[in-house]
Parts: sequence; structure tokens; C-alpha cells
Amino acid sequence: MATEFHNLQELRQSPSLATKVFIQRDYSEGTVCRFQTKFPSELASRIERTLFEDTVKTLNTYYAEAEKVGGQSYMEGCLACATAYFIFLCMETRYEKVLKKISGYIQEQNEKIYAPRGLLLTDPVERGMRVIEVSVFEDRGSSGSSPSSNVSSGISQR
Amino acid sequence: MPTSGGERIKASSFIPVSTAAVLLVGSTTLFFVFTCPWLAVTVSIYVPPCSGILFFFVLANFTMATFMDAGVLPMANEDEDKDDDFRAPLYKNVDVKGVQVRMKWCASCHFYRPPRCSHCSVCDHCVEDFDHHCPWVNNCIGRRNYRYFFLFLLSLTLHMVGVLSGGLLYILHHLEDLWKLHCTVTLVVMSVSGLFFIPVLGLTGFHLYLVSRGRTTNEQVTGKFQGGVNPFTQGCCGNLEYLICSPISPKYTARPIKKSTVRIIPPFLRPETDIQIPIIKVEDNGIQTHDIQNKRPSTDGMEEPDIQRLNTPPPLPPKPDPNVLKSHLATLEESGLHPKPVTPSPGQTLQQFRPLPQSTSKAPPPSPVHQVAVAPEQQGGSSRGHNLSSELILGRFDQLAFPSGPMSAPLQLNSLTLNSRSLTLKHAYRHGNKLPALYPEGLISHQVSPGLFPPHNPLSNRNSLSYDSLVSSGDPHYLAQRGGPPLHYHPHFMTLGHDGSVLQRPPPHTYSPVFMGVTRQSPQPRDTSPRDPSLRDLTPQALTSRDLSPQALMHRDLSQQALIHREASPVRYDNLSKTIMASIQERREMEERDRMLRMQARSQALYGCPDMGVYDIPSRRSLPADSMRLPGSRGPTPPAYGSREFMMSTGILGYGGARSPLSSASSSSLTRAPRTSSSPLQSSSSLQSKGRSPSPAYLPPDRQAQPSSSSSSASAPDAPPKMPLTHQRHGGKGLSTPVCPQIGTIESSRRVYVASHTTLQC
Repeated sequence: MATEFHNLQELRQSPSLATKVFIQRDYSEGTVCRFQTKFPSELASRIERTLFEDTVKTLNTYYAEAEKVGGQSYMEGCLACATAYFIFLCMETRYEKVLKKISGYIQEQNEKIYAPRGLLLTDPVERGMRVIEVSVFEDRGSSGSSPSSNVSSGISQR
Repeated sequence: MPTSGGERIKASSFIPVSTAAVLLVGSTTLFFVFTCPWLAVTVSIYVPPCSGILFFFVLANFTMATFMDAGVLPMANEDEDKDDDFRAPLYKNVDVKGVQVRMKWCASCHFYRPPRCSHCSVCDHCVEDFDHHCPWVNNCIGRRNYRYFFLFLLSLTLHMVGVLSGGLLYILHHLEDLWKLHCTVTLVVMSVSGLFFIPVLGLTGFHLYLVSRGRTTNEQVTGKFQGGVNPFTQGCCGNLEYLICSPISPKYTARPIKKSTVRIIPPFLRPETDIQIPIIKVEDNGIQTHDIQNKRPSTDGMEEPDIQRLNTPPPLPPKPDPNVLKSHLATLEESGLHPKPVTPSPGQTLQQFRPLPQSTSKAPPPSPVHQVAVAPEQQGGSSRGHNLSSELILGRFDQLAFPSGPMSAPLQLNSLTLNSRSLTLKHAYRHGNKLPALYPEGLISHQVSPGLFPPHNPLSNRNSLSYDSLVSSGDPHYLAQRGGPPLHYHPHFMTLGHDGSVLQRPPPHTYSPVFMGVTRQSPQPRDTSPRDPSLRDLTPQALTSRDLSPQALMHRDLSQQALIHREASPVRYDNLSKTIMASIQERREMEERDRMLRMQARSQALYGCPDMGVYDIPSRRSLPADSMRLPGSRGPTPPAYGSREFMMSTGILGYGGARSPLSSASSSSLTRAPRTSSSPLQSSSSLQSKGRSPSPAYLPPDRQAQPSSSSSSASAPDAPPKMPLTHQRHGGKGLSTPVCPQIGTIESSRRVYVASHTTLQC
């Protein structure tokens, strides 16, 4: 919109947080970590449905991989038991490794897809894996209001 | 040393764990010192190492169970529950593998507890897969540390068994030296072990049972899955496998903070489907706009009879020419009106449209003006639906070919255009006499300013059915305009209402079909005719269209139009018997008056709105029956008045009735405890939330008891036009005259409409 280019000052001001959309967990398969892929209506005007659903599905895949009960987790448990759990001091668990991957993925998604659309995903682990918090920013330069602090510390907010 | 009460409680909570630790370590140490050497010699050299490893295992698990985070869920941010805090129910049902599981709202942590999650009162936090709070380890046992606790129990049991059996062996071999130090110590160790062995064994057995059934202690104790199916179990082996081999879930609290370098700088991209229309969540009204992405402003959509209940916002026409708006505003200013901005509300159904009340042409100017103003007020107010409906209607007319100046330009509904139209409507009332007889097109528009309304001819451009009906319906209005009074407006609205929909419906009145046929059959010729003849031509059609129009639209001008018809003696009535026309006129007049009276009376009763003064109908207040009716109590459901009317009325009913958020709540009608911070929400919502258990049925009346001024004013205009005649006729619903047997139904449906509309206003 042309109004957004009024002046450079306006452009430089960080947008203020308009609202937050929360993607809830999908408990249909038990307590396994899954998020609902239902596209929230509040985001319909901000991002394409496919993009958003892809993000959530990828996250779900990551979480499924992290929580998979299989060989690796068994070995990890045995090793931990054998070392009287001292191994936890030296090594990070598989889940934590996947969480790091997820964090990197979310960061990348934010940079490439969501930030250009005025959205910001918050890592669910910061919310106890209960919700995916999507911060929606106002779609223009600040309208006189003070800039929010979400610009550069979105993921760090707690 | 603890000084405060809280600290004392904290100190006392360490007693069990301290005792357990001391006993465990002490006893085992004594066992190793006094008993094991003999065992090593007598039984086997591997006894001490195995015991040592076992004990080490016990200690490790004990330590993990004590110090590991059980899966504490951090408190929710304020943002997360601001939508739910005051309206949401206490429980939310969620489907887990086909089994309904209840999620309870945690008042401390401000979120709905996930399945199997519970709040530990000792630790004051929610724990995932909460098992219990163990005093012996002074920690919650939950998802992350249950395996350690279980293994601790197992290993402790085994260790106790080892200690007891070793000690017994020793004692049996040293019976003669029972009072020696070694025997004494062994006896003491055995006693301690024996004392705690039974409870520990019992607890171990209990947890073995729980694991086999896939339950937590909390679920077992509360009897959650006692008789039903446990959706969380994976079978005995699966549960054991999950217990031992599942990956350890991460800790949620005290995580290292990661600084994100993502910068958010506008302008922002928008989806390619670029919905120019913002999605408006009409939460209060219960209608939420969905699929707005697919919406495109288009005339086609509007030309269709889609005035019926719309789940998606109808496309809005492009913005009108600002000059037009200015002129409109100017004219309105002239008339002393305050044209209120009409906010577009694509999410609203047309049903909410409240037809602009049209008083008789003889009515004082303020009254039509006022009524006209009411509609935009409504529109601009909380009731988005009204807004949209009027906009739709106006827009429809626009589409139908209101070539009048800029108003006619957009083929699509434009909220702004509609706003301007509503303004023009207001203005139109004022300038009823001044405006040219562009009646059919600009029921609203032409009334606004003569200049804005081109000759009637443009109507001919449209050959749509709606257009035809419009044209036909315009007749009486034209005639009325000729006469000067703004009576013509009534049919406009009614026509408009039809426009989208009504015309196609079979008219409920006996005369309707006849007129319907007439209406539909002869649109075109009128198009080309000069204005006057066209007006006349439109008259009968206007009548028919009026019949067909949604009840909300009908009330206003029936009477006047009837009068007009009588006066005008339209040329087009050649195909209709004049007696029929007269009867029709009479009927309409009565209907409208009755409706107006009822609306006004009701609105007054409900909202205490001041005498609108617009319609100096003395009988308005003499309709106690209607005025006494509660907003929530709708009149008898009208019969299938017409496809659209019925749909609209039923839609309104359904819409209005489903607005209570608790009605869609989970099984419990309780509401969560609100946050300590007071809710800024309206009182109606506070009624729901603070009350903890307001009945859903309580809400609608409550909401209706808080009508916005717009709604009150909205309902008012409908009432005034009611004439004494109507009142005389309607003690209640039915009319005594056989001429209009359907009027009762019309009235009832109108009442329903208005009532629901009023409800929607809240």
C-alpha cells in the first residue's frame, strides 16, 4: 500500500504486535506431540494456507521423529542406566537434538516466510509444547504507537 | 533456618526425603560394613559387588527421581488466554483415539491442561502425565521422571530383598553371637529393611499394575478409566516398552533463551488470493467470516438472490467516488442528519438488514430522516449485520442498475458505496420530495440527490430478474415520488430486499402470485418508457415485490404505497383489477402500520428508546401486547413465507440463538475463573465468565437487555410506521379481514425478524 511508504522513519519503525494466534495441540493420537494443522481464520489474510500447513506438518514430522520409540532411544536409555545417568551430563538426548533442529527450522521459516508477512512463529517448546504461538504484527508502519519489542527478539520472549 | 510459614512448610517437606535418604544410605552402609564381608566369604565373592551395583542403581534412580523435572508446564502467557479467560468453560473436551477426554482449565497456570496433565498443589505447577507427588523424594512424579521413580522402586525392592536375605543368613549363622556388634547391627539393618519392605513392595506392585494398565496414579486414584476405555494404554508390553525405552522429553522450564534475529519490517506480503476485504470476526454475533479468500467482489454474486443467509461475506463493491460521498454527506448535512459511518461488515448476513423505515410522505421530515439515520447507525454500530444487510441491499440496487451517477457505477457491492447509499437513504428521506423519481434504482440513491440519479432508463440495462423485479417494484415509488412524499422509499427497500431474493419466492399473499407474474413478465418495456410511465409501470410490480420482500423490508411503505397506488392509478394496473390493487394496498398499509407499531413499541419496551418521533403514529404506544414481548421471545415462526424470507427468518433465529458462547461450550456450563486482572469485556461477557456457571439460556436475554443504542434505534424505525389501523386489527397476530390472511404470518415473521435482529444487536 502506498501509505506504507510515506517516509523512511515510518518504515524503520518496528511494527507493533496486533494479535497472537495459537495453534493448539492435536491430541487425537494420544499425548504424542502433534499440532493441529487446521488453518486459523485469523491468518487467512496474512499467509497462504499451504505455506502454513506445510510448516505445521513439518513440525509435526520433527516431533514424531523426536518421540519415536525405537532403537536409538533404547540404546540411549540403556547407556544412561549403565552409567547411572551420568551420561546426561556429557551428552544431549536425541530429543534435545531434534529440538535444536526444530528451532533452526522455525528460525528459517520465520526469516523466509513469516517475517515478510508480518508474522512470527514462537518455538512451542517455550510454551511447554502446548501451542504454536504465531504473533501477528500490524500491517503497516507504526501508526504513532510505540514500536514493539518483538522485532528482534521474537523467539526469545517467554 | 526457616522463619516464615512458607519456609517452614518447605523445611517440613524435606523431612520425609531426608529420612528416606538417611535410612537408605545408612542402612546400606552398615550392611556393607558388617554383613557383606561375611557373605563375601561364605556365600560368594560376587555378593558385595552386585549389592554395590544394585545400591548404586538405587541411589541413581533416587537422585533422578528427586531432582529431575517431572515435566513441568510453564505458565501460559497473558496473551494466550485473553480470549478465553472470561468466556470459556471450565472443561474442554478433546477426542483422544476415539475417547472423549476432558481437559480442565487450570486457574493457576492459565491454560487447559493437556490430557493426563494435572496440577500439583504441593509444587503449584502443572505436570505433564502427572502421576503423583512423592514425599519420599519431595518431587512430583510425571512424564520425565516416572521411569526413574519406577526403577527406583524396583531397585529398592530388590535391594531390600538382598539386604534382608543377607542379614538373615548372617543371623542364622551367628545365633550364638547375637549380642555381638556385627549381629546387632545386622539385626538393626534387617529391622529397618523389614519395616519398609512391605510398603515398598506394595508400592512397587501397585506401579507394576499401573504400568501394565497404562494408567497413572492420579488416574487410578480418581477412577478416570475405571469402567471405560483408556486411550493412553498401548498394551502391557507396549507400556513397558514405552516406560523404559521412550525418549526423555525435554525440560520446558529454565530453557536457554535463544535470541532471534528475525526482523519484521513492513510492508508485509499478503496472500496471493488477496482478499481486499478484511476478515472480520464477528464473535458477538456468532458469525465468523470464513473463506474470505475466495471472495471476490462481483456483481454476479449479488445479483443472485443471495440475500438469504450468508455464511461468507458477500463481495463488496468498490469504493465509490469520493465526490459522490461528499455530495451525499453534503446533502445529509443539509438535512441536518448526522450520517454515521457505515462500517462494512462482510460477515453479516442480509437478514440483519433492517429496512429503513419509511414513514408516510406526510410524515414530518425529521421522522424519515431519523429513521434513515437509524439504519446507518445500526450499521455502524455493533450490529455489523445490519450494516451489511443494508449495504447489500443498497448494493443490490446498485447492481441492478443504478446508473445514477457514481452510485450506479460499481457493479459490485462496495461497503463504502453502501455507506454512501445509506447516507443517501437518510438523505433521501429528507429530500423525498426533491429527488427525482429514480425510484426503482435508487430506492436509496436517488433519494439522496437528484443529481445522483440518472433517469430511470438505466434500469433497463439490466435484464436480471432482480432488476426486473426492481423495476416493477419501483412503480409505486415513482408514483409516490411524483406525489412528493418519500413514500416511494418503502418499496425501494422492499424491492431491494426482494432484489436479491424475494422476487423469486412465491408471494405469501393471495395477491402475490398475480403480481409476481406481472412483475416478472414486464420489465423491459418499462425500461425504455419515460420516467412517468415507467413509474406507473413499476407500481404494480412494486406491490408485488413488496409482497415478496423480506418482512423486514416490507413494513415501511406498504401503507403509503397503497395510498400512492390509489392516488396514482397507475397505467400498468391494466392487467390487474383495480379492486385487487386496492385491496392489496390496503393490506399492505395495514401490515406496515402494524409492523411499525410493533417494532416501535417493542423497541421502546426493550430499550426504552425515546419516542422516535419520526412517525407520529399515536397508536404506537397502544400496542401493549407486542411491546411486552421480550426480545428473546420470538413470535411464532412464520411459515414458508417465501424461500428467502423463510431462510432469512430461520437464519436469524438460528443465528441469534446460537450466539451464546456457552451454548457451544463443552459439557460443563461452568466458566473458568477469570484472571485476577479485571476483564475489559462487556458486561454481558462478564456475566458469562464471572458467574462461573451461568446458564446459557440466561445469556440471550441478558444480552438483549444491553442493547446498543443503534439496535434500539434500529428497531425503532420499524415500529413507527405502524398505523392505528394496524393496531385495531391486530390485537395479536391475525387479521380479521379475509383479504389479508397472510398478514398475520407476515407480521409474525416480521416480529421474528425484528426480534432476532434486535437480539443480534446485542
